[in-house]
Amino acid sequence: MNTREAKQILLLYRGAIDDGDPQFRAALDYAKTDPELDQWLREQTKCYDAIRTKLRAIEPPVGLSEKIVRRRPIPLAQDWSRIGQLAAAILISASVTVLVLKWLEHRQPVAGAQEIEVTGEVLDMTCYIASNLSGPAHAECARICIKSGEPAGIKARDGKVYLLTGEPGHSVNAELAEYAAQVVTIKGKQTVRDGFVQLQVEEIRKL
Amino acid sequence: MSADVEFENLVKLYYRDLYRFGLSLTGNETDAADLTQETFYIWANKGHQLHKSASVKGWLFTTLHREFLKGCRRRNRFPSESIDEQTQELPSAPADCAQQIDSRTLLRILGEIAEDFRAPLVLYYMEDLSYKEIADVLALPLGTVQSRIARAKIQLLRRLSEPTLSLEKAK
Repeated sequence: MNTREAKQILLLYRGAIDDGDPQFRAALDYAKTDPELDQWLREQTKCYDAIRTKLRAIEPPVGLSEKIVRRRPIPLAQDWSRIGQLAAAILISASVTVLVLKWLEHRQPVAGAQEIEVTGEVLDMTCYIASNLSGPAHAECARICIKSGEPAGIKARDGKVYLLTGEPGHSVNAELAEYAAQVVTIKGKQTVRDGFVQLQVEEIRKL
Repeated sequence: MSADVEFENLVKLYYRDLYRFGLSLTGNETDAADLTQETFYIWANKGHQLHKSASVKGWLFTTLHREFLKGCRRRNRFPSESIDEQTQELPSAPADCAQQIDSRTLLRILGEIAEDFRAPLVLYYMEDLSYKEIADVLALPLGTVQSRIARAKIQLLRRLSEPTLSLEKAK
C-alpha cells in the first residue's frame, strides 16, 4: 500500500463504525507510519464530524411525531374464519373467471403472435405513463423501478410503446433493468389485445 | 408491549433521522414530512412481515427511499450537477470545514449534487449505517455505493472550499 492508496481508502473512514473493516485497519496502520497522511486523516475526521453535526442539527417540524402517531392506520382485526371464507370465495370466483376466459380465447384467438424486432428506449412504464418521465435524467429511477418489478416497456423510434414481458411465469425485469433508459434492440413475439401491444422478450441487443 | 406503544416508540426513535433523509432527497420540508409519515404507515401495515433479525432502521430507510423513487418526487427542486467520471484529485479538508455555515446552507450545497450521489452521501454522514446497509437501502452494489460516496464527498469538500462560499458564510 502507498500513501495515495491509503488516502483513497481513508477518504471514506468515519471512525469507530468502520474500525471492523480490514481494509480501513490496514490503511489506518499505514497512516501511523506517515505523519503527513496522519495529519490529513485528522483533518478529514474533524471535517466529517463537523458536517455530520450540522446535518444532524436539522429538526423536523414541531408536532410531526405526534401527528404520525395520531393518524396511524388501524390494521383490520384478523378474523381467520372470515379470512378463510373470503379466500375460498376469491378462489372460486377466480377459477370461474379463468374458465370463462379460456373459453373466450378458444372462440376468439389472440391476433397472431408475430416475431418482430423493435429498437428504442427501455422505459419504466409506471413513471412514463403517470409522469412522462424517460431519458438519461430518469435512468436511475427507471433502473430501480424495473428491478423492483414495475412494468417495463420500450418506446420505438416511431413513438409506438410496447409493454415488455417474459414468457408466462418468467420475469425479464432483472435483465431489462440493466438497460433502463438506454436504446436497445429487442427481438420477441408481438401480441395485441384490445389495442394494447405486448412484446414477449426473446433477445436484447445493446446498440 | 402493545402494538400502539411499540409504534409510538418506533416513531420517537427514528422520525428525526427519516425526516432528515427525506429532506435531503426532496429539498422540501412538506414532502419530507409526508415521506416520513408514509414510511411509518407502511410499517404499521407491513412491518410484521419483517424478519426478527433484520434491521428495522434499514427497513425504514429502504421504504422511505422507495417511496421517494415511486413518487419520483425529485422534480428538480435542487438544480443538481453531474459528477465527472474521471478520478478526481483527493482534496484536503477545508480548514474550518462546515464550521461557519448553517445546516440549511449545507443542505442546499448537498442539493447541488446529483440525487444518485447525494442519497448515499447523506446516509454516510447522517446515519450510523455500515456500507453494506447503505447499499441495501439504496439497492446498489457495495462497490458502487463506496465509489459514489467518495466522488460526492470530493465534490462537497471542493464546494465548501470555494471562495464564493466564504462570502456566503460571512453574510
